[in-house]
Amino acid sequence: MAVADPIARLVKELARLPGIGEKTAQRLAFHILETGAEQARDLAEAITGVVRDVRCCSVCQTLTDRDPCALCADPRRDPRVICVVESVPDLVAVERTHEFKGRYHVLHGALSPLDGVGPSDLKIRELLVRLEREPAEEVVVATNPDVEGEATALYLKKLLSPSGVKVTRIAQGLPMGGDLEYADQVTLARALAGRREL
Amino acid sequence: MKLLSLAIQDFRNIGAAALAPSPRATILVGENGQGKTNLLEAVYFLATLKPLRAGRLAELVRFGTPRAVVAGDFEAAGGPRRIAVEVDAGGRRASVDGKPQDRLDGYFEGLAAVCFSPDDLSLVKQGPEGRRRFLDRAAFNRWPAVLAEAREYLRALRARNAALRTASPEVEASFRAPLVRAGARLLLRRRELLRELAPRVAAAFAEISGPGAPAVGISYRGAGGLDLEEGGEAELEARLGEILDRRLARDLERGYTSAGPHMDDLVLGLDERGARLYASQGQQRAVVLALKVAEIENLRHALGRPPLLLLDDVSSELDPQKNRYLLEYLATLPAQAFLTATDRRLLEPAAGPEATFYKVEGGRFGPLDS
Repeated sequence: MAVADPIARLVKELARLPGIGEKTAQRLAFHILETGAEQARDLAEAITGVVRDVRCCSVCQTLTDRDPCALCADPRRDPRVICVVESVPDLVAVERTHEFKGRYHVLHGALSPLDGVGPSDLKIRELLVRLEREPAEEVVVATNPDVEGEATALYLKKLLSPSGVKVTRIAQGLPMGGDLEYADQVTLARALAGRREL
Repeated sequence: MKLLSLAIQDFRNIGAAALAPSPRATILVGENGQGKTNLLEAVYFLATLKPLRAGRLAELVRFGTPRAVVAGDFEAAGGPRRIAVEVDAGGRRASVDGKPQDRLDGYFEGLAAVCFSPDDLSLVKQGPEGRRRFLDRAAFNRWPAVLAEAREYLRALRARNAALRTASPEVEASFRAPLVRAGARLLLRRRELLRELAPRVAAAFAEISGPGAPAVGISYRGAGGLDLEEGGEAELEARLGEILDRRLARDLERGYTSAGPHMDDLVLGLDERGARLYASQGQQRAVVLALKVAEIENLRHALGRPPLLLLDDVSSELDPQKNRYLLEYLATLPAQAFLTATDRRLLEPAAGPEATFYKVEGGRFGPLDS
């Protein structure tokens, strides 16, 4: 590359990020160079800070800079209901509904034998320890409605049922406010199969 | 949905081609190895997104070029729509009127294509994979949702097979449930399809074979003794689940799932005897011909119009009587069809007044001198 070494080094690091190719990395690098020292320092500090300060909440395993996280520390949240999700973005999605008043548990993935992901690679043991210490009445399994998510839900059901806790699974069907004609056919077929009497 | 125009670029041995297909028969004449089948394959790929022959997608791209593109204008309500499909090292992408489509079910709306090639003639004789492929493709032509359902089954199957080999018994058991659920769905589709096809196969076979011919039977053989005759989705799930439970020790030892739709077979029989063992070569071919005609008739009935037909050099492989039946049947069918032959005279009876002829030579398509 016909640029100074520090630029080349920044381009190389940026290009390692997902979704960023060599050309975009170069554009970003020159942009950072042009914005000046102060902005560059803020960016660098934000990057090192996120790695330094963010860790898993010791209770629910979500990503947080305070332990326990704000959700686990909130006394208004109902500790008797725990919603299990695959990832932090899933937690955010459920939280955005303002419907769920209980607490969360983030697995950080789903069982996937094809990718070599087994129970010990997920935060399942942490869930068991947590339930033992602080028994809940209901565990809502909100893993994705795909093969891996379904299997993970069943695995949790078998694992948790002996302890007497009620294990539930979120329902599947058509999105509200959506048009029937835009629903994909598998969802539509499932929704038809799971129809209810009015 | 009729195909109004077809443009191909770097697909197998075809460098660039633009064709104006007939609303009825488009007949491609040329020596072997010139690109007739490749053109049929391009049309099939455009209409189904599936390669016609088994193999990797990358093989569709002409050697030494980065990507293959097949595009066509289809007649649709509200004017023609341009559907295109592209293959390169990154996989395949489809677009409608220039807009990329990530969901495939919309893409297939109203498209159905039935192909008949010399390979199909050994459908009775060969192993069960060919018959399963026939079932899957016919089910997908009939209900486009089957594509997503079959994909989900395959995904569950791969995950469960991996679990059999590497995971704990508890993890394996958790993957059995999604597999059984997706499997039951496919089984229901196949049962429905066979119920629709059976009377049509019998009628077509009787017509092809003439008076005194044996009766043809078509039934489903579920691996592990699965009974598909009756019961709803929940019952089929339970039944398939029991079979997998029973075979667990064996499946663990071998590291793969030994029952389910991916192991089942279609049984074709004559007078209650298996056609594979007891039918003559001529009868076997008549059974295959009857199957194809039954599929076409069934789609015509279900969709309100016949599917797009692709016939690859079939006339040269059929005896004169069966060939006459097929060509007369095609001549009465208001279907759009692509047919190939080494000699145009073989297809003359199916041509009809609107037929368009092309001469195929070295991957190029030109007018055919009569």
